[in-house]
Amino acid sequence: MAGMKRKSREGNKGKAAFKKKKNQRSSGGADGRRKRTGPRLPNAMLKELQLPKRYTDSDDDEIGSGDGDDVVVNNDFYEYEEEGVAEEESKKNRRFDPVQNYQYELPDDFEDENVPSDEEDGNDDEDGQRGDDDEEEEDDDGRHSRLLQEITGLPTDAFDGKKKKNDVIISEAYSESEYNPSRDILDGDGRISIQDLLDPLHGKPDHGKLRKSMSRMAKKSMPIHAPLPKTDQEQLGRRAAYDVVQGDVTKWEPHVKRNREAPTIYFDEDKHVGFSTVGAIAAEFEPRSDFEKKIASLFNDHEVVEAHRKDGARLLELNKISVEDVRERQDQLAKMRILLFRHEMKAKRVKKIKSKVYHRLQKKDRLKQAGAAIETDPAAVKEQAMKQEFKRAEERLTLKHKNSSKWAKRILKRGLDVQDEGTRAAIAEQLNQHALLSRKANNMKESSSSEESSDEDDLDETSDGSDQDVAVKLLKKAKDKTAEVLEGDEELPASGVLSLPFMVRGMKRRKDAADEEAKLALEEYESSLKELEDKNKTKTQGTNILTGRRVFGAQKKQAPEPKTKVTSDNYYGDSDSEGETDAREIGIGACEENNFSGREVHFDPNSLREESEIAHDSLFKSFDDVARDPSSKTSYEVSISADDSWKKMNDSSVKRKQTKSSNAKSGISLQVTEPVEIDEDSDTDSGGEMVDGILTSGIKSTYEIPSQEELIRRAFAGDDVEDEFEREKQDALNEEVPEPEKPVLLPGWGQWTSIQKKRGPPSWMLQEHDNAKKKREEALKKRKDANLNHVIISEKRDKKAEKLLTQTLPYPYTSQEVFEQSMRMPIGPESNPATVVPALIRPEVVKRSGIIIKPIQFKEVNPHERAQDNKRGGVQSKKGGKSKGKATKKKTVDQKR
Amino acid sequence: MVVKVEKIIPSKNIADTDEVISEEMDMKKKKYLRGEGANLKELKDKKLQGQLAVKEELYGKSATAAAKAEKWLMPTEGGYLEADGIEKTWRIKQDTIASEVDILSSRKQFDIVLPDFGPYTLEFTPSGRYMAAAGRKGHIAIVDMQNMKAIKELQVRETVRDVVFLHNELFFAAAQKKYPYIYNRDGTELHCLKEHGAVLKLQFLRNHFLLASINKFGQLRYQDVTTGQMVANIRTGLGRTDVMEVNPFNGVVAVGHSGGTVSMWKPTSAAPLVKMLCHPGPITALAFHPNGHLMATAGMERKIKIWDLRKFEVLQTLPGHSKALDFSQKGLLATATGSFVQVFGDLSGSQNYSRYMTHSVAKGYQVKKVTFRPYEDVLGIGHSMGWSSILIPGSGEPNFDSWVANPFETSKQRREKEVRSLLEKLPPESIMLDPTKIGSVRPERKKEKPTKEDIEAQMEAAIEAAKNIPMKKKTKGRSKPSKIAKKKQEAVEKAKKPFMEQHTNKRKLTEETHLPKSLERFVRKKTAA
Repeated sequence: MAGMKRKSREGNKGKAAFKKKKNQRSSGGADGRRKRTGPRLPNAMLKELQLPKRYTDSDDDEIGSGDGDDVVVNNDFYEYEEEGVAEEESKKNRRFDPVQNYQYELPDDFEDENVPSDEEDGNDDEDGQRGDDDEEEEDDDGRHSRLLQEITGLPTDAFDGKKKKNDVIISEAYSESEYNPSRDILDGDGRISIQDLLDPLHGKPDHGKLRKSMSRMAKKSMPIHAPLPKTDQEQLGRRAAYDVVQGDVTKWEPHVKRNREAPTIYFDEDKHVGFSTVGAIAAEFEPRSDFEKKIASLFNDHEVVEAHRKDGARLLELNKISVEDVRERQDQLAKMRILLFRHEMKAKRVKKIKSKVYHRLQKKDRLKQAGAAIETDPAAVKEQAMKQEFKRAEERLTLKHKNSSKWAKRILKRGLDVQDEGTRAAIAEQLNQHALLSRKANNMKESSSSEESSDEDDLDETSDGSDQDVAVKLLKKAKDKTAEVLEGDEELPASGVLSLPFMVRGMKRRKDAADEEAKLALEEYESSLKELEDKNKTKTQGTNILTGRRVFGAQKKQAPEPKTKVTSDNYYGDSDSEGETDAREIGIGACEENNFSGREVHFDPNSLREESEIAHDSLFKSFDDVARDPSSKTSYEVSISADDSWKKMNDSSVKRKQTKSSNAKSGISLQVTEPVEIDEDSDTDSGGEMVDGILTSGIKSTYEIPSQEELIRRAFAGDDVEDEFEREKQDALNEEVPEPEKPVLLPGWGQWTSIQKKRGPPSWMLQEHDNAKKKREEALKKRKDANLNHVIISEKRDKKAEKLLTQTLPYPYTSQEVFEQSMRMPIGPESNPATVVPALIRPEVVKRSGIIIKPIQFKEVNPHERAQDNKRGGVQSKKGGKSKGKATKKKTVDQKR
Repeated sequence: MVVKVEKIIPSKNIADTDEVISEEMDMKKKKYLRGEGANLKELKDKKLQGQLAVKEELYGKSATAAAKAEKWLMPTEGGYLEADGIEKTWRIKQDTIASEVDILSSRKQFDIVLPDFGPYTLEFTPSGRYMAAAGRKGHIAIVDMQNMKAIKELQVRETVRDVVFLHNELFFAAAQKKYPYIYNRDGTELHCLKEHGAVLKLQFLRNHFLLASINKFGQLRYQDVTTGQMVANIRTGLGRTDVMEVNPFNGVVAVGHSGGTVSMWKPTSAAPLVKMLCHPGPITALAFHPNGHLMATAGMERKIKIWDLRKFEVLQTLPGHSKALDFSQKGLLATATGSFVQVFGDLSGSQNYSRYMTHSVAKGYQVKKVTFRPYEDVLGIGHSMGWSSILIPGSGEPNFDSWVANPFETSKQRREKEVRSLLEKLPPESIMLDPTKIGSVRPERKKEKPTKEDIEAQMEAAIEAAKNIPMKKKTKGRSKPSKIAKKKQEAVEKAKKPFMEQHTNKRKLTEETHLPKSLERFVRKKTAA
């Protein structure tokens, strides 16, 4: 409703204001007074129609400001309006961001926007209150001049003159409104022309210039052309975009070129993969924990460092320790040694004991201890659970206890009835064990819950009689026990492992924790006891408290709280334990929260209230129960057996390797003396030649008569060697380049008549033959040995050697010659100096594993400049860009050209 | 007369200008560049061009570095013999040389007289440190040439025709009367290679670990000494010969035959790679230059020929008999006949061999083998009365590369090298005339067309197969004999078709090409399929 009102009023007002202003300017006769009196009636009427209450206020507002944009905004529909509160303050209440400008209010907004609101608004308020006409007027004038200034961009003083001129006011009877339109509106269009704006500047220094430029602009104004067709526009846009993008892309060209031309691209520059040495890691180390800091402070101790840096002599001084310290330490060490020794001796002695009874007791003890550990130590519980689970799995796998053993089978075969009592019991026991072990999962929880339930059962039994009494009794008993535990310091064993200092410390710690728990429990007991007593007292008065419906939560607890406080205070006053205050606090806190069972202490307030149960503090669980707990027992046993089996396995697996001694056989064969057979050759050679060997200096004289055999061989061998070779060559050629077969017709074909015979084979056959012959000739001419009469060079393919040749020309090569020339140099380390080998065999991309290749980064490079060649391992390599700087080897290309 | 034996560092002429040095470096660099790079300008592929340019630059760097290394790390220059005035180098006797050289070098001149065990053959290890000497009559000795200590001497009591070291001095093979045997340094017989038969000549291919032998029947055998596998067994078919030599450059084995031919073999082909007629008469000796380009052969007809193996042409023919030939590391050629040893040298570097030195062993000694000692200016001569060693200045390589052969090798180094060389063992198929071709493009093979007979045979087979296709038994008259016959006929036709098409296509093509010019325009243009 309010919003609607506001709007409608706004619309009117906007128009009115506009008109009024024009009026002022054009006629110079409008003033605040008219305004004030003029629009009142219609506005008032409107307001009365819609919102009588706010009539005065809003009207005042309007009149005061002439336009109230802020007010308008503040008068939002949803806003809670506070009267008489400054606008800034009232803004606090806005539920959402106020809109400063409504589009339809542009003219007003325009005016108001640049008016400092604090000043103005304050004035407005005051004006509204005081109703001071003069000030109002002044204000109006100022605003108007500002408007002009805003529009024309000229300094304010330009308009001052106008104001003075306009001092002569033609007042209108009514302020303008739609009911009282100004003359302008009635005359024609109500727009402000440039002329209007220029007129008042007449005579000002800049006026002429301004007018000139105005007229120029007016002349120049040309008809606006119709916009280009959309396709053309888009094309132009694309073209422009293309140019931009092209420029963008071409800047990469040198980069790309460089990378393309680089023989090797390196990606491992300035890449820090991580610490490579222990030293580097150590250098990065920063102490964080207290301990580390302490150590670090010692390390960086100025004195120590200095001492180190010098000759280390001062280190000795710094190292000084007092005699007492040393003695103490020695004593401690000696004590430890003695303890260890004693423990060892004891262990030895114990190990030797063969008594079964002793061992049974021992075992029991161990179980007890384990049970205790389970109660107190969550880790132990977990371990136990794991063990149990493992046992279960094993049992389910092996079914060891399910009458599957040889013994059980035999007994079952013979019938159970025949067996004696013991055997039957044993069998039953086995089955029982199987059932226990292979029970479904969560058996740990089950067992614990069953224990609880059994406990509860017990309690139930006892509490059958009189609830209250029993509860009190039980509570008292529990309290006593707890106190006992608290007071009765467990004797620390003077010897044995448990007497070792760390064990002692651990035990102490555990005991402290337990004590704390006990105290808490005690407190609880006391409080509940008190409660019970109270109840007992109040029972006579009103039992309905008890019998009424249960009330949960803290309310119930609140009543006994102070008492517990007192008692606990007393108690702690008596006791001299260390953590007394802490415990008290905790106790109080716990009482308040009534949430006692935060940790392992299973203590729920409900049960307390019910009085039928006593909290089950784990501390008070009897060890015997735990020891009797079948699950834990069996698991223990199994673990032992597992150990044994493992040992056995080990034993069996250990085998001794037998080394076989191999007899080296000596291949020395002694030559038996045999009659030495010597070739006829050698005989003749050594015999004859040596006999007539003459020392000669001439070549001729060296010719000696060869042996008979030699002569014969020579006589037959040297027969017309050249002809023979010629023939051989022909044969070889024929074999490698076979002669074409002569054209033959099938017998009987084409031989019927003498004419046919005369004609011989058909011409095409002859031609083919001729062709083949020609081909052969050519092939022979191409052979390497074509011009060498004394040489036959085989041109047979060697299939085996073909694998050493490439079948085709490798890809980038187009000419065989180029390929072979490029392959002429071996690149291995055997045939090249060590300095060049790495360069010769460098791969195209050098990158250490683990390095991420980042996208190429733009870096200004001179496209005409060859990148600097960095010597690296005797090779050119370039480290241009960060990611991909590569060396171009263009220099060499140019040289070659 | 000036005698320089290696290991004497000559005082450098300080007048060496920078130019000379740079020229020298250029020469060396060229050597290490191993040929010219491709002409990059002609490459159209710019990327490849760039890549190759980079590669070439690296090669250049490598060559420069190698040249520098050579300059600074191989300072020792070879010895030489220089004659003054009308003096002739070949007139200089060993006595004169001995008086000129230092004591260490003069110690290398000696004669070992072992008259009982016939002519000796000698073999040096590649480092020149150890020598194996085998007397015809069964005496085998391994000698450490550095301290002249006989490491092992043994008497096998049968004919020993040849002895070779295997990959190091620990093992050697001896060609004995019936079989070759492998011994270790202690003289223990390790293997008897019975398959080889009565071997006349043995050779060991170091890079391939192959023991090559040629036996009395002209059978050439290759055996892998690492695995014991017989790699090849080739019947040369050219008769008995004991002239066999390995080309150190490519591992090709050359055998000289009585027919005057020299055949070159590789283990992977049964036919000789090259067969050349070198002499009209039997070939008595054969030797390869260490660079593999030169071969020297000696024939019965009193001629020694030096061949260029790149062109298979005679470079030079020298007169003279020769029972033994050997090239030194620096390219000197030693020949021996009777008791006379001659050394030819191409001191000008133009491969024009001329007489360099001569030497006659004691009268009546028949030289069986001459062999230069690597890395020393020493020529070992095995003859009928033992062996002798003479100084030939400038024969040995003055600088040794310990990665290749180290005369001062320790046992640890030897062990390392053994493993290394085993790892780097080359497969037998890598033996070829031009091993630099390995890795190049396989030469284009002529497409072998199937002969007419082949095609016909194929067609016959196809028809036969088509005829024998079992027919399904079908009902409703579809298995009538006539139908079956028709189907079979169709199958046969179908099988024939591809073969027939080949013929007709060929015919058509030929016909087309032989149409008279005037009619060619009427030929229907073959529409693209």
